[in-house]
Amino acid sequence: MSSCHCLMIRVFQCEDTLTGILSGVYDAWSSRLGHRNVRLQTGDNENMELFCEYEQTVPDLEKAEKVLRTIYKKLGEEAYEMIAYAAVCPHSGKADAIYRMIVIGLSLPDGREISRMLTQPDVQLVFELRRKAWHIAHRYMGFVRFRELKNGVLFSEIDAEADILALIAPHFADRLPLENWVVYDRRRKKAVVHPAQKSWMILEEAEAFADLGNSDEEAYYESLWKVFHRAIGIASRRNAGLQMSQLPRKFRQFMNEFVDL
Amino acid sequence: MDYRIEQQIDLSQKLEILADAAKYDVACTSSGVERNNSGKGIGNCIKPGICHSFSADGRCISLLKILFTNECIFDCRYCINRRSNDVPRASFTPQEVCDLTIGFYRRNYIEGLFLSSGILGSPDLTMDLLYQTLYKLRTEYHFQGYIHVKAIPGADPELIERTGYLADRMSINLELPTAEGLKALAPQKNRPKLLAPIQQVRRMRIQNKNELAVYRHAPRFVPAGQSTQMIIGATGESDWQIMKVAEHMYKKYEMKRVFYSAFLRVNDDSLLPVIPGGPPLLREHRLYQADWLLRFYGFGTDELLSEEKPDFNLLLDPKCDWALRHLEQFPVEVMKADYAMLLRVPGIGYRSAGRIIKARRLGTLDYANLKKMGVVLKRAIYFITCGGKQMYPVKLEENFILRNILDGGGRLRTAAEEQPVYEQLSLFDDPRFSM
Repeated sequence: MSSCHCLMIRVFQCEDTLTGILSGVYDAWSSRLGHRNVRLQTGDNENMELFCEYEQTVPDLEKAEKVLRTIYKKLGEEAYEMIAYAAVCPHSGKADAIYRMIVIGLSLPDGREISRMLTQPDVQLVFELRRKAWHIAHRYMGFVRFRELKNGVLFSEIDAEADILALIAPHFADRLPLENWVVYDRRRKKAVVHPAQKSWMILEEAEAFADLGNSDEEAYYESLWKVFHRAIGIASRRNAGLQMSQLPRKFRQFMNEFVDL
Repeated sequence: MDYRIEQQIDLSQKLEILADAAKYDVACTSSGVERNNSGKGIGNCIKPGICHSFSADGRCISLLKILFTNECIFDCRYCINRRSNDVPRASFTPQEVCDLTIGFYRRNYIEGLFLSSGILGSPDLTMDLLYQTLYKLRTEYHFQGYIHVKAIPGADPELIERTGYLADRMSINLELPTAEGLKALAPQKNRPKLLAPIQQVRRMRIQNKNELAVYRHAPRFVPAGQSTQMIIGATGESDWQIMKVAEHMYKKYEMKRVFYSAFLRVNDDSLLPVIPGGPPLLREHRLYQADWLLRFYGFGTDELLSEEKPDFNLLLDPKCDWALRHLEQFPVEVMKADYAMLLRVPGIGYRSAGRIIKARRLGTLDYANLKKMGVVLKRAIYFITCGGKQMYPVKLEENFILRNILDGGGRLRTAAEEQPVYEQLSLFDDPRFSM
């Protein structure tokens, strides 16, 4: 073995999804190059580095599930949730941080301790991203606005900074089990589709959603909501700054109470 | 002349009138209960609650907050809907409330319903209408979202009990912190009458807990607990008195929340004060901060305030204020202090305190870690050491800390730069010369 080879770092480029990242973890681990000599990266790299060799990881459901099972069994539910949530946040270092977290976790006598090792920078990053993902998802649980289409389907459009569709889908599926509803992520061209009384699914590359137009009732309820929204504010406590910080503009474009104001 | 007599009004106008009439009620939380959908209806609840929008005053809109009616027979002086006011009046029907709730809920505008009411005819009649509305919503529409309902003081306990099994949260407003204030401003109400339903709800909740222990699927009575609300600044109570009442409500009646509402002068009444500078919003804010200290931080009212110092310092939050008066307990060593003491450090909240406890078992912390964990170093640095070290050389001295905290946002002045104030000048007092 040439000594030069040892200097090289193998970078595993994985798809920016949980499946992609976990497949990367699997590949990096099974490459047996040593943890110091591998790195994970999401997405295409614009800047190639010296002393690195790049390898594309093909997202593989089977590999990902194996890793996920290990995480669940050895690192516990908390770490499992941390990793699943962190994976949806856009961050260049997340894949590597998840890999390191798993490596450290599996080296501990009790892997479940890993979710509490907040002094470790990688765990800290995963922890932070998890918190961020939850915040974004939680906000969208409130700010999603459905409108009823002609065929009775509830339709909503969002433009989320993280890929939170899979995080909010179970919530809405539980909330509106008897409704047909769709949440469409404009940025990622993905949609959650929930047929009434069935389980939800994610449609990738959902480009064209033929707009059927709203149902007859829709305009009535929208106007009622606007009336309510206006009436509930107290004029003498007016505080536009507070309103803006709680509900920034990026959300308002989809919320009918703020459109055409 | 333009007479308006018994004009038919549509649902939109009703909603406008009755939402407008309900806006002074502050509680709009949808938290405290976790419930999944049964698969046969609409709605669920999640424990932390969800905000769905924010109104122009920056308050969260979580629930469809409406009065059932504002045709009130009472004449409370602080209330916009009092009998003697000339305001447009309206009443919903149970059907209309159901339509609105379901219509809004499906579109994800709201998290549930907040139904309050003026007294229409008699307390019993009003309570019955509220009950009918909830019954319809829960059984006909199978609505499983959040419902917050007011119990009407003076109504039949039987009605209150039945309503409680349909609602998630129930509240009875104390209106004013003291019985004297209530007597002056709300002549038809009295303290014992207000406390009776509160007492009842508390009793029933305890009973229900025992039932649930035996029968897991027993119907749940007010699962998200009860809350109450007080108007701040309408009568001359001090913060100390208000906090005492709040503490009493938490301890004796096991309230989930006490809400404080800054007095707004909506009626021109000789008995109501005129507060220069508008409603006392900052005071309200300090009371909420202190309220959190009572509920989550293990403080008692008598630690924060006393008869001699009956009001909060408007410039400082109550925790900082307390810490500055108890400097002998600081600095706190983050690596060693127990949870209760960590909670008392300004800048450390209950979440970050919990994280510190967990993380320090597995490694040493430094200030960068603390920052990442959510500790507000801007306030905390004066009161903590981490691994035996201060972050900056700061003096543990009341005036110094106070000035730096009030400066807010500005660059921290270290002890070495600090000019001595209120001190006799002398040739050798310059801190740059003393080590």
